[in-house]
Amino acid sequence: MTLARVLPLLLLALVPFVQKRVDASRGAFGGGDETLYLWSGAQVRRLAPGLQGLLADVYWLRTVQYYGSQKAFEGGSAYPLLAPLIDITVTLDPRMEIAYRYGAIFLSERPPHGAGRPEDGIALLERGTAAQPENWRLRQDLGFYTFLFLHDARKASQILEEAAELPGAPVWLRTLAADVVFRGGDRATSRRMWQELQAQAEDVAMRNNAWAQLAVLDALDEADRLRVLVQKFAERTGRRPASLGELVTAGLLSRPPVDIFKVPFAYDPDTGEVAIGPSSPLQRPR
Amino acid sequence: MGSGRLRRVAAVAANTFRESVRERVFYNLLVFAMLMILSGLLLARLSIRQHEKIIKDVGLASIDVFGLVIALFMGVGLVSKEIERRSLFPLLAKPLRREEFFLGKFAGLALTLATNVAAMTAGLLLTLWATGARPDLRLLHAVYPITLGLLLVVALALLFSTLASPTIAAVATLCLVAAGRLSDVVRNARTVLPNAPAWLVEAVYYALPNFRNFDFKDRVAYGEAVPAATLAWVTLYAVVYVGAVLAVGVLAFRRRELH
Amino acid sequence: MNDAALEITGLTKSFRVGFLGRERRPVLRGLDLAVRRGEVFGYLGPNGSGKTTTLKILMGLLRPDRGSARVLGEPLESAGWRHRIGFLPEHPYLYDYLTASEYLDYAGRLFGLAAPVRAERSRDLLRLLGLTRSANLPLRRFSKGMTQRVGIAQALINDPELVFLDEPMSGLDPIGRHVVRGLIVDLKSRGKTVFFSTHILSDAETLCDRVALLRSGEILKVGRLDEILTVDVAHMEVLASGVAEAALQSLPGVLRRHAIGERWRLEVKEAGLGAVVGAIEAAGGRVLSVQPVRQSLEDYFFNEVVASGSLDQAWEAGD
Repeated sequence: MTLARVLPLLLLALVPFVQKRVDASRGAFGGGDETLYLWSGAQVRRLAPGLQGLLADVYWLRTVQYYGSQKAFEGGSAYPLLAPLIDITVTLDPRMEIAYRYGAIFLSERPPHGAGRPEDGIALLERGTAAQPENWRLRQDLGFYTFLFLHDARKASQILEEAAELPGAPVWLRTLAADVVFRGGDRATSRRMWQELQAQAEDVAMRNNAWAQLAVLDALDEADRLRVLVQKFAERTGRRPASLGELVTAGLLSRPPVDIFKVPFAYDPDTGEVAIGPSSPLQRPR
Repeated sequence: MGSGRLRRVAAVAANTFRESVRERVFYNLLVFAMLMILSGLLLARLSIRQHEKIIKDVGLASIDVFGLVIALFMGVGLVSKEIERRSLFPLLAKPLRREEFFLGKFAGLALTLATNVAAMTAGLLLTLWATGARPDLRLLHAVYPITLGLLLVVALALLFSTLASPTIAAVATLCLVAAGRLSDVVRNARTVLPNAPAWLVEAVYYALPNFRNFDFKDRVAYGEAVPAATLAWVTLYAVVYVGAVLAVGVLAFRRRELH
Repeated sequence: MNDAALEITGLTKSFRVGFLGRERRPVLRGLDLAVRRGEVFGYLGPNGSGKTTTLKILMGLLRPDRGSARVLGEPLESAGWRHRIGFLPEHPYLYDYLTASEYLDYAGRLFGLAAPVRAERSRDLLRLLGLTRSANLPLRRFSKGMTQRVGIAQALINDPELVFLDEPMSGLDPIGRHVVRGLIVDLKSRGKTVFFSTHILSDAETLCDRVALLRSGEILKVGRLDEILTVDVAHMEVLASGVAEAALQSLPGVLRRHAIGERWRLEVKEAGLGAVVGAIEAAGGRVLSVQPVRQSLEDYFFNEVVASGSLDQAWEAGD
């Protein structure tokens, strides 16, 4: 094998390695390859007659990549280009359900998981429900997020009732609409909602986000249980435990309590409060 | 022997550059200059907010597009034309090896492109200055990777023109460039095609020449600088990929029968 | 070191033709050839006989299926001999955006010649070929004949020991042909070897020491022209002037007559020579010359080709 034949193979083999380095190095820039200030959705639409569907797909993919790479490389950013990208996508194709749903969740979630602007997420869903009035899922999401992020139980309930009326809506939606108002306690209802969102998620990031939210709820339940155990310890010994480890030695727990990410729970001996560990990935601003 | 090789490659490169000058490849610069001037004057007059950014965007995009057109058409024409017209024949009878000819053509064309891009960049900076905007030297952070991308286009065009007719070579190169510019779409293909096997998507992503690597236009138009490390990695990518393409091109050209 | 300038052994080449290149058309069939140093060697054959293919293989443009060659004692694959040869292709296309001087300079650079050497040789060659006044015109403006002459110049820029010329007279007017003929003679006198391929047999007749006759990819015959072309002493050629046609009509022994202006060229059987000469003088004419009729290369070729029944083949196998 002469050098001439080996050389191209060698170089081609190097390409993926170098590309990975380039991606890592560039990653901080994310998908910022849009001249967004020039192109609003309406302008793009006018410029590309007949190609809207294709362009919508392209912008959709760019949105996904943008979110993914921003999250991976620049945790803490507020995803400034997310709203414009989604805007263009749904302007090009107002029927793209997943774009509304994806955009809404990641606009609403607090950083570093999202842009932290639930009003924008809600507005996006309202745009979606206006464009697709018969779509129960969009209206369902609108109801859910009104509850989960805006903490407005009455409004949420009303929206969910409307959603329950739409063709194809599942039976449990109506029950949930009632529960939201009557039960009031947010954790069980929240859990229900996130379970639905997880089950319905068509995108990996959305599914993971719902899963993470459920994990937070589980951890909060666990913290409650621990609080009860602390109480028990106090009743038995007349003092609060100095640390959660004492609960183990006291035989109330089989092993030191950690959350699903193996981060120990935080315990304040003065107040007896148990909370999710501050360094845990489950920490989410409420 | 080494210096003889280099001298011959240099001779071919110099002649290729001379050809591009005399064949008036640089006329595009006139069009570009007019575009720059027009957009600059118009926008400054309308004093749209951010007119500086618009001029930068139009300028960088034009450099990219004009450069691509030149790279494509010269690259494709260069080798095919020589084979078709047989101007190659008296040259190859001399102590000029095929790979020296091929690499010399690449070098000459690279020089042509670099000159073209440099002239257009100067024009852009001039326009910015003339409209009262700051001529931002950070623009070079975008121009440099654009040039790297153009070199890759040339290498691909040369490769294809040794393998096929000029038309097919042009189409093939253009398709690869288009696909390479949509590399992010390829990478996230599983979002729309969940059944596509992950290994295949990865393989296609890495195999395609990733032209998005060279696109820093928006960063720079917003006034941000590109870190040196990133430019270094992008340069390495260009070197490796261009090297691979040229190496394959040399092999193909060596084997080709010239009727 | 032997004195062979060029040795070809068993050279074979076929081209793929037909849909998907399934069929093979043989162009060279086991060619064997040797050219001695210092001779002018003619490579002759009708169009399509494989002359250009042979040259293309030598120049490295094509690869032979089988066979080998040695040029100036070195194997075909080595690069050294390329410094010592010159090549003029058929219908050369030479970068019409360059001037003649620039082209020669470029050619010289590819040989690694130093700038002053390039300049001097370029000037000399252009002068020799009558192109001094056009030296700085772009080749785009050159006529076919002028381009041909530049082609010859670039073949000689490195003062080669062996020169390959493919149809050197193509496109030249009579003056041009005269110049080139003189050039070839001059090269020979300086000890150079010239290999030229042509289908114009009269050129070969006047210039070549030896020729190879090629037909359908095979060498028909190699040798000195006067060995190949038989001299037919049974017939004599008589040149006469001042004789009226009437007088010639009745002469016995005149096989053919052909008027050239005022003169007559007669083909006469040897036995009747004396009678014809006497008759011409008696009629008041003059006998200008008498010589044996020699078969021309054209005749030879035609006979060979026709005799083997392959006239159609030869005619059809166009290049």
